[in-house]
Amino acid sequence: MASDRSLDPRLVIARRDLASLGREKTIVLAILIQLFVAAFSSFLVVGLTSLYDPGSVESGGIEMAVTGDAQQELFEAVAETDGVQPVAFDATDDAQQAFNVGRVDAVLTGTYASPDSDGQVIEVTAIAPDSSIRTTLIVVQLREVLKTLERNERFERAESLDAPPLELPPEANASPYFSFTYTVLIPLLLFLPPFISGSVAVDTITEEIERGTLELLRVAPVSLVDVVDGKSLAMIALAPAQAALWIGLLSVNGIAVSNPLALLVFVAATAAIVVVFGVVLGLQLGRRRPAQLLYSVLTLVVFGAAILLPEHPSTTAAKLAVDSPSLVTYGHVAGYVVAAVVLFVVARRYVARVEPESL
Amino acid sequence: MNPRKLLRIAKWEVTKNAGGVDKRTVAIMAVSVVAMVLVAGLAASSGASGLDSGLYRIGVDESSSYYAPASDDAAFVVQEPDPAAVERGDQELLFVGTQLASSPEDPKERAALGEFRTSVDRYNSRQMARDDNRTAAAPVSVTLVYLEQSGVSETIASDSGSGDGGDGDGDGSSAGGSGGGSGGDGGSAGGSTDSDAGGLAGLGAGLTGGSTTGSPSDIQPPFPFESLVLAFLFIVPMNFVIQAYGSTMLSERLNRRGELLLVSPVSRFDIVAGKTLPYFLGVMGVVTAITLGLRFSGLTAGGGPIAVLAMLPIALLFLSATFCGAMFARSFKELTFVTVTVTVSLTSYAFVPAIFTDVTPIALISPLTVVVRDLQAQAVTLGDFAFATTPPTLTAVVLFGLGAGLYREEDMFTQRAIPLKVLDALSGRIKSKWSALKLSVILLPFVFVAELAAVALLFALGDISIPLVLVAVVVIEEVAKSLHLYAGFTSGRYDRSLRTGVVVGALSGVGFFLAEKVTVLAQLVNPGLREIPTSQAGLELVPAGVPLPLVLLVLLLLPLLLHVVTATVSSLGARRSRRSYLLALGAAMVIHFAYNYTVVIALGQ
Repeated sequence: MASDRSLDPRLVIARRDLASLGREKTIVLAILIQLFVAAFSSFLVVGLTSLYDPGSVESGGIEMAVTGDAQQELFEAVAETDGVQPVAFDATDDAQQAFNVGRVDAVLTGTYASPDSDGQVIEVTAIAPDSSIRTTLIVVQLREVLKTLERNERFERAESLDAPPLELPPEANASPYFSFTYTVLIPLLLFLPPFISGSVAVDTITEEIERGTLELLRVAPVSLVDVVDGKSLAMIALAPAQAALWIGLLSVNGIAVSNPLALLVFVAATAAIVVVFGVVLGLQLGRRRPAQLLYSVLTLVVFGAAILLPEHPSTTAAKLAVDSPSLVTYGHVAGYVVAAVVLFVVARRYVARVEPESL
Repeated sequence: MNPRKLLRIAKWEVTKNAGGVDKRTVAIMAVSVVAMVLVAGLAASSGASGLDSGLYRIGVDESSSYYAPASDDAAFVVQEPDPAAVERGDQELLFVGTQLASSPEDPKERAALGEFRTSVDRYNSRQMARDDNRTAAAPVSVTLVYLEQSGVSETIASDSGSGDGGDGDGDGSSAGGSGGGSGGDGGSAGGSTDSDAGGLAGLGAGLTGGSTTGSPSDIQPPFPFESLVLAFLFIVPMNFVIQAYGSTMLSERLNRRGELLLVSPVSRFDIVAGKTLPYFLGVMGVVTAITLGLRFSGLTAGGGPIAVLAMLPIALLFLSATFCGAMFARSFKELTFVTVTVTVSLTSYAFVPAIFTDVTPIALISPLTVVVRDLQAQAVTLGDFAFATTPPTLTAVVLFGLGAGLYREEDMFTQRAIPLKVLDALSGRIKSKWSALKLSVILLPFVFVAELAAVALLFALGDISIPLVLVAVVVIEEVAKSLHLYAGFTSGRYDRSLRTGVVVGALSGVGFFLAEKVTVLAQLVNPGLREIPTSQAGLELVPAGVPLPLVLLVLLLLPLLLHVVTATVSSLGARRSRRSYLLALGAAMVIHFAYNYTVVIALGQ
């Protein structure tokens, strides 16, 4: 360890802390956890979307029986909707029968009714199967069909309306996961590392205090400020490293993450803020149980309260990643950097005033 | 177990906690919880801009009729139409009048167009809700009815007790489900919606089946988003409690602090139970408070003792897993990661199946489903309740048992890697060769819970789910059968002779077989669960219409043979070294998979 002497003691301490994470292989566990969280949330979305998405049905579309006085209008509406085929029945009973034996997936019965003097409405009774895996999908398609019917009817009655409904823009062949990827998945992956870093910062401080090993460090020619500096730096550095890993992995998977540099700065600033918070809590309370509890509760409260900002941190991350940053976005990132630096300086002053013997 | 001593330890745990510094902590905690509620209320009331706010940029002139929908939707930043900006990639959509003037190609532009289509649709609904001519603005009124299809085989029929849960709560719901759920288009629920519907009051009522009437956009797929949010409410407090619980357990191990209690005249079960009791009561208190709060604030239609009781195994599971983690961890840092792992995996175990509450009986794998059903005021049969809660309860008991095995001087105050501690925990239970049988039986609840969780995770994937479930089942079962054998060999509890290898392997297989049959019996008792195809594939395969002798053969002899053979194979490998154990384990898995696959393909047709 001769070479260590020439190094800054803070770096030595940072390296020692990182090495202990490596030795316990906890960092592997941390990355596995994040991978699991990412896989889990993606699974949820992909799995759930497949319940909704007509394209995922291998049996080739849904057949809907249409019947009743308004059969013609219903037939057109079903035919206009992707993924469903209309089957016309003259008698409602026949349609019911076909539904019962499973030849059609849903029954639409339309009748005209006039609830008040100035016109008629189409009353539709829709029958969907109960307790089937496909129920969700069928109901979603039913809603599409009926909304199409509603739109058609509104256009036909446009003269009676104050303003005609707007024509819808053309359909886009968009990925259903796009918005989720950028607004949930990427912010999640970017904010988990700072959150865990802060939690580990609480641990590393309280552990030294509870085990009494901080005294040993005090015997070494380093000040308490150096010790805390080293520990904080190690934890702050860990977060952007993990974030960079995620950005790289996402890019390999074909999900482009724009503005990586700004994102990493953002993550580093966030990590610095929570780590400083964790360290101060640890020193102040001295024991893991209250410190860790307060850390997790308060971090959540602050993260939630950030909604009062013009832009929530997760929106900032999403806008940077999707390449729609505005000046406000960059302003927020700059704000976090300033806040991180200020907090770090203030915290150092606090640490300098802490009596190590009192811990 | 001595209740008096147990209670005294519990009291110490509480009083030690409330004294000194911790009063301040409690005060700050209380303030932050209030702050959390305030923040949540604030976010809900201010109509928070949403996660996707400002995600897309749209170029549309003020004269265009698309200007209003674009500026109403927070997801869009409205800009002056500028073809150059589109070229630069600074504008995703460009409209001249209502004509799309850009050609969306990359994923972001197409996503923007899809999003804009939805927001124009929502804008239309809002406009129509304001129109005076009701029949022209709402020309379609829909009544949605859910009916069973009797002649369809692919429908998963659920047992009569819980399946058509719409019966009790269909009435009075009238489009209520849509009011809260349709987020964003609050105005669209006009038309025929009852005045008292909408808002959060209709949460429980409109969630499932029954018949609902309203305009087409009021139709909500049977998907309990709201109840899932509520279920999350039950899970969140667990995480804070296990933070504190893990700390207190691990700090007993620091600087040999726990030694004082260990040498005192109390059993270690008293110590563990006494230290756990306050946290357990705390969790259950919070759960009860949440249930009562939901019930009496009118947020949910039901919720009572059943919901609270169903949360009991989840609470035990969180605490027991954290206890084991605190016994395994070497440092606070490691404990943090262990706690996060426990949180993430148990939350997904409880949460994922509950998503399918209204869709399939598979959801009953998780006790949280029972909670969701109870919150919706649906009936829960005793069989359903037992099926959902027994495996996690047993698992929690086993975890406490294994952790308590480590609650002794040799293990508490030494630093060993987690895998070695796991082996220690297992080998601590080994007394003789018969222990192989006993441990296979003890580990079965794990196997059961893990397999059910795998089924729940994989079943939504469609066709490929069956082979994937088979692989998961094979891996889980083979590890459970052989890990304790390996622990026994490495710790020297079993001698490494060939004879011992065969004997303990066979005993482990027999034990596993016996325990597995008990669970099959439990399945046969509950008729609703027999109709879950994948869970049958996972646990035992009893295709209908096979003659009785063959059933007996398939049901009893073949699986017994299989478990004995595979356990013996891994046992023989485990005698030598870690590498040969892993190789033999792989071989056992291959044999097991080949068998399962043959049975599913050959007899399942």
